[in-house]
Amino acid sequence: MVPIIDVRNLGKTYRTIEKENGVKGAVKALFRPQYREKVAVHDLSFQIDAGEIVGYIGVNGAGKSTTIKMLTGILYPTTGSIAVLGHDPQRERVANARNIGVVFGQRSQLWWDLALIESLNLVANIYEVEPSRYKQLLSHFAEVLELDEILKTPIRSMSLGQKMRAELAATFIHEPKVVYLDEPTIGLDVMVKQRIREFIKDYNQTHNTTVMLTTHDLGDIEQLCSRVIIIDNGSKVYDGPLNAIKQQFGKFRTITFETNQPMTSVNLPPACEQLNLSEFSLEVRFDRSQISASQVANAVMQQLDVADFTLNEPDLESIIKHLYQNPTAYNEVGARG
Amino acid sequence: MDKLYYRLRIYRSVVGINIKEVLAYNFWFWSQIGAHVLLTIAYISFWKALYSERDTIAGLNMQQTLTYIILARIVMPLVQWGYTQEFGYWIREGTISSELLRPVDFQERIYIGHLTRTFISLAQQLIVVGSLALFVFKISLPTDPLVWLSFLISLLLGCSILFCFDWIFGCIAFYSTEVWGLQVVRGSVLLLFSGVLLPLTMLPTELQTIAKWLPFAQSVSVPVSILSGMTPLSELDSIWLQQLVWLGVMFMLSRLMFNFSVRKITVQGG
Repeated sequence: MVPIIDVRNLGKTYRTIEKENGVKGAVKALFRPQYREKVAVHDLSFQIDAGEIVGYIGVNGAGKSTTIKMLTGILYPTTGSIAVLGHDPQRERVANARNIGVVFGQRSQLWWDLALIESLNLVANIYEVEPSRYKQLLSHFAEVLELDEILKTPIRSMSLGQKMRAELAATFIHEPKVVYLDEPTIGLDVMVKQRIREFIKDYNQTHNTTVMLTTHDLGDIEQLCSRVIIIDNGSKVYDGPLNAIKQQFGKFRTITFETNQPMTSVNLPPACEQLNLSEFSLEVRFDRSQISASQVANAVMQQLDVADFTLNEPDLESIIKHLYQNPTAYNEVGARG
Repeated sequence: MDKLYYRLRIYRSVVGINIKEVLAYNFWFWSQIGAHVLLTIAYISFWKALYSERDTIAGLNMQQTLTYIILARIVMPLVQWGYTQEFGYWIREGTISSELLRPVDFQERIYIGHLTRTFISLAQQLIVVGSLALFVFKISLPTDPLVWLSFLISLLLGCSILFCFDWIFGCIAFYSTEVWGLQVVRGSVLLLFSGVLLPLTMLPTELQTIAKWLPFAQSVSVPVSILSGMTPLSELDSIWLQQLVWLGVMFMLSRLMFNFSVRKITVQGG
């Protein structure tokens, strides 16, 4: 099967002017600029098949958005090649744009001053959606995204959740074959997040749409993606099933202890690892399959005068962090990348 | 045929959107007109004072100059600001990314929108400043529909030339990300060399030469001279030909410049 998205040896290097501090530095940069090269994405390759929902994750500044912007055709890669449904997104920008839908969670594609329905009408016209088909989709979206109450509202007076539902409607109204979602649930409440996830999932299943999703929300990944690609410092560090990561790292948890007196050294039981230590607090990670939370807490409390403690669920961020700090960990989870 | 139909449908909605966007700011719309009326009154008093000392300036009598100035005032808001500011904003805020993601030619879409706004502005000016000229200052505007038609064609060409020029100018924002300075420079140069302040024939010869080589006069002085009767209709052929050449060159440069500089894009944040 020919992959829908085919990325080979992709790289992007930004060149920025480095300025020294103060007015002197600013003047100096004007006449003799010192360039600094920053590699945002390095030798990235992956293929995505039709109908896949792939979570594309990494810490802030890892290169996620840069990749997405190159895939959509906005940014020009420094090296490597991209094909989306056979089109080069940069050279065939208009042809590519017809096939894709993009949501940037932090900016709007809609017209600030216009009522949502006006924006949708325009988008439908631009993408040459058949009027009858448009009507059908509009009433479907109005129902599942609960748009009825906001159709006549200008975008500028919408809440964040309303805005994101509006964005999704505008993105899917031309029935794109490939959708890029860049942090679609950022800053939203649980209810709206859930609605949005259901919408994406349902659309993917009914249309066999290929979805690439970047997020910091483990819930998004867990409910939507069966495959994840992890990127760090611009390079791919993991590409494989979500399950493998979860099995490997889901068993780790952390406990944070707070003490009244300055911390002394602590002997931890086996299967525990000391993460952070400051004067009045201690963070311990333990393997849930080998030791229970109460055993860990007990052991620590016998040695320290503990004022408070919290048990933390492992989040995606810490898993990625752990993966990055322990390069051998990728082998443990059997990365295919 | 289908292609054409869809294209027209897109244009129609771009035109519609722009009209709605302009009207969304009612207060801005009316206060702008207020400001123009005040400035026009100031201009006319200024020129009347100048002419109280003599009969002609640079071969133009008071009536000719006043007609020209009033008409130039009508055209001025169409060209005064351009969209360099907007262009810079798109690039700095990263909204250019959603603009580039639409499956229509970016420049074409912005052009249609820009023309719409230009002609809304023209209609608004004609009604307010035009009636001021007719009823308050008793300045006679041409009545020959052929003159008006020629003026409109020349204005359309002039605005298109300026559009392409501004497009090239706006592309500098890809490199500088800050355009306020550019905008100010453009504004001052336009004021002198477009023929908004005074008929270009009143400028010293050297400055007239510079004006000839800048695109600004094409959008103000050239069409306004037709409408005010300073340019006889017999010269239309050569004027339109000149404007078309200007347009062709500017259009090609604007395409090249954009295609080249869009590679510099670095969408901030996110």
